[in-house]
Amino acid sequence: MDLLNNLIFGFSVALSLQNLAYCFIGVSVGTLIGVLPGIGPLATIAMLLPLTYNVGPVGALIMLAGIYYGAQYGGSTTAILVNLPGETSSVVTCIDGYQMARQGRAGPALAIAAIGSFFAGTVGTLLIALFGPPLADFALKFGAPEYFSLMLMGLVAAAVLAEGDMIRSLTMVGMGLLLGIVGSDVNTGIPRFSFGITELTDGIGFVVVAVGVFAVGEIINNLGDPTERQVFTSAIKSLMPTREDFKASIGPILRGTGIGAFFGVLPGTGPAVASLSSYMLEKRIAADPSRFGHGAIEGVAGPESANNADAQCKFIPMLTLGLPASGVMALMLGALTIHGIQPGPEVMTLRPELFWGLIASMWIGNLMLVVLNLPMVGIWVRILKVPYRFLFPAIMAFSAIGIYSVSNSAFDVYLAALFAVVGFLWVKLGFNPAPMLLGFVLGPMLEEHLRRAMLMSGGDASVFVKRPISLVFIIATVLILLALVVPAIRKRRDSVASS
Amino acid sequence: MRSLLLKAAAILLALSTAAFAQDYPNRPVRLIIPFPPGGSNDVVGRVMATALSEALGKQVVVDNRSGAGGVIGTEVAANSPPDGYTILVISIAHAVNPWLYKLNYDPIKSFVPVGIMASGTNVLVVNPELPVKSVKELIDLAKKEPGKLQYASAGIGSFQHLGGELFKLEAGVDLLHVPFKGGGPSMIDIIGGHTKVMFSSLVQTTPHIKSGKLRALGTGGATRSPVLPDVPTIAEAGVPTYQAINWWGILAPVGTPQPIIDKLHAALTKVQNSPETQKQLSTEGASVMQMSSAEFGKFMQAEMTRWERVVKEGKIKAE
Repeated sequence: MDLLNNLIFGFSVALSLQNLAYCFIGVSVGTLIGVLPGIGPLATIAMLLPLTYNVGPVGALIMLAGIYYGAQYGGSTTAILVNLPGETSSVVTCIDGYQMARQGRAGPALAIAAIGSFFAGTVGTLLIALFGPPLADFALKFGAPEYFSLMLMGLVAAAVLAEGDMIRSLTMVGMGLLLGIVGSDVNTGIPRFSFGITELTDGIGFVVVAVGVFAVGEIINNLGDPTERQVFTSAIKSLMPTREDFKASIGPILRGTGIGAFFGVLPGTGPAVASLSSYMLEKRIAADPSRFGHGAIEGVAGPESANNADAQCKFIPMLTLGLPASGVMALMLGALTIHGIQPGPEVMTLRPELFWGLIASMWIGNLMLVVLNLPMVGIWVRILKVPYRFLFPAIMAFSAIGIYSVSNSAFDVYLAALFAVVGFLWVKLGFNPAPMLLGFVLGPMLEEHLRRAMLMSGGDASVFVKRPISLVFIIATVLILLALVVPAIRKRRDSVASS
Repeated sequence: MRSLLLKAAAILLALSTAAFAQDYPNRPVRLIIPFPPGGSNDVVGRVMATALSEALGKQVVVDNRSGAGGVIGTEVAANSPPDGYTILVISIAHAVNPWLYKLNYDPIKSFVPVGIMASGTNVLVVNPELPVKSVKELIDLAKKEPGKLQYASAGIGSFQHLGGELFKLEAGVDLLHVPFKGGGPSMIDIIGGHTKVMFSSLVQTTPHIKSGKLRALGTGGATRSPVLPDVPTIAEAGVPTYQAINWWGILAPVGTPQPIIDKLHAALTKVQNSPETQKQLSTEGASVMQMSSAEFGKFMQAEMTRWERVVKEGKIKAE
């Protein structure tokens, strides 16, 4: 029982008073910055890094890690309450979480988000402990063709989001793809659709679009429709999820955790991919997909679990190989080097107190977060009782500060204002902005990996079916397409036959 | 026009405050880092900001103004009042950007050099699956199959990209450039064995060289790196004219009074001599580099000339 011994050793490290304190500071700071839009873990950790020079490496890493996964918890809070995504990964939570809040069910939404996150965090931690190294080796097998095929599968599966008004949904996916194209071309460095504006050469920020369209756009909508506001302020029902809520959430939490862990292990996927995928899956397999977008608890439970599992598993390449899966992980590697530790596979054997101590602390941190967050639900929900003449300006102010702080750019704030107007128009014209996000997130990745794969293969497209992992995704894509198309054809044939 | 007026007003203001350089700084100094948090520019810049705060006796506040390969933050600095309360961290990108972007400032004339902080070399690594053990063998392989061998980089115009293009020019070989979005993704790709060659920053690569996941063929400095004493320089291993180092320095907007520049330069020198700063810089693979302000100005000119040739002959700017 090596694992058990290791874990016991890890807990003995993590449970020292000092390390518990670092863990607590980390998750508290994380929750706070998670709640604030824009101010993400990357900037926070960069700022706090010098403070950890005098702390031992174990304590430093425990605290920095706490900030990172704590932010995933906090990100959902404002998403649910006021449609303001606190973190990139929680934008999906806006879709149904906010609708739940409008129906007076903010409490259950927040609670299920915390519970799902805790479960996913626990599983993620276990995965690192049990299968860290083999999972990291698996992830290394993914090159450009594999990522492309995976994203393609995701995009095709997402045709599911296009239920209802197909044309409008596809229009919005296309809109997202177009917005995603803005910025420098990866292969040549030529700016596209930047209109000579220097600020656009790096593309349009995700936070700019998400906060503009969702948070600020929603405020405009609310102001335009006084009757809706009354619905919103109606009595808040129970704070905790009901038995039915739990029953509906178990499946999404399990699946979301699985999806999150999968994407978390793969370094080439961004933060919103896991939660988007989980959302699409839940919507696809739901008995009644039309509930989604109108306050389905599955649409909160799944994505929230997915983003936390994703965040936890992003540690795998960092801890086992010394490879950064994201900017935050690169900073943590930097924190290790500052303490004279060479990151890499040797950390596990040479510095077991670091490896196992961190893993144990992550579980403890997740526990702290759920204990911290569940009682907070009552307090958060009370925010909704704040009169709109105070709440709306406050949201506007936080949105502006958050957007500005991403890259200290006033231009981004103006751009978000533009997107708020655009978002308002979309809703008024009956275009749902959710599919736009999908195109915006997946589109640029799809393009980047496709172009890189073609560049590396010398223009030979057969590379996608020659590489086994890529082939699996291509086959799955074809099967999904068939599953979508065949019933439609059959239906038409039946209707032709019956007429 | 507005910025010109601002500038004129600022210069007047600077002249009137020149007399007060004695009590400079009497409020926090803003250090613009034209890159996002987390990268090497940010790490080096923050190490310096912390140490400079102590040396100057006033807080030096980091202001990350990232975007467009450093152009956005540099432009902000160029348009700031030249009173010594706004200074700018630059890297090799400052000497490359004029050849890649259309700039609203002059990389030399819009600034006064304060001093160079540190420099770090690159290292030529290959995935061990590639059957080459030396720079010579790599050149032979590349000559056998021109344009087939692929090298990864952190993106168009990145230090990794420039190091690769310089190698192509100096060694007379043809390699295919595969750009990624950042140093992390390219490192993951080469360790996974998808691309095989990279001209990487030394420090992020050292752990993987030591663990055997990558094979180092040569380093890009004038002398061997103390971190990898067994690895020859690329110059001694067969490409005598090859040298690629990344460097970081501090500039102030043009018009900043000389006494303030002198004061900043003195503080910088003091910081560079502290063992703690040297240790923190070494984690980024950087080591202290010292020059007078004027020497740094000439150094920047020389770097611009060096990379102009690489950008133009390597056709890095595709238009």
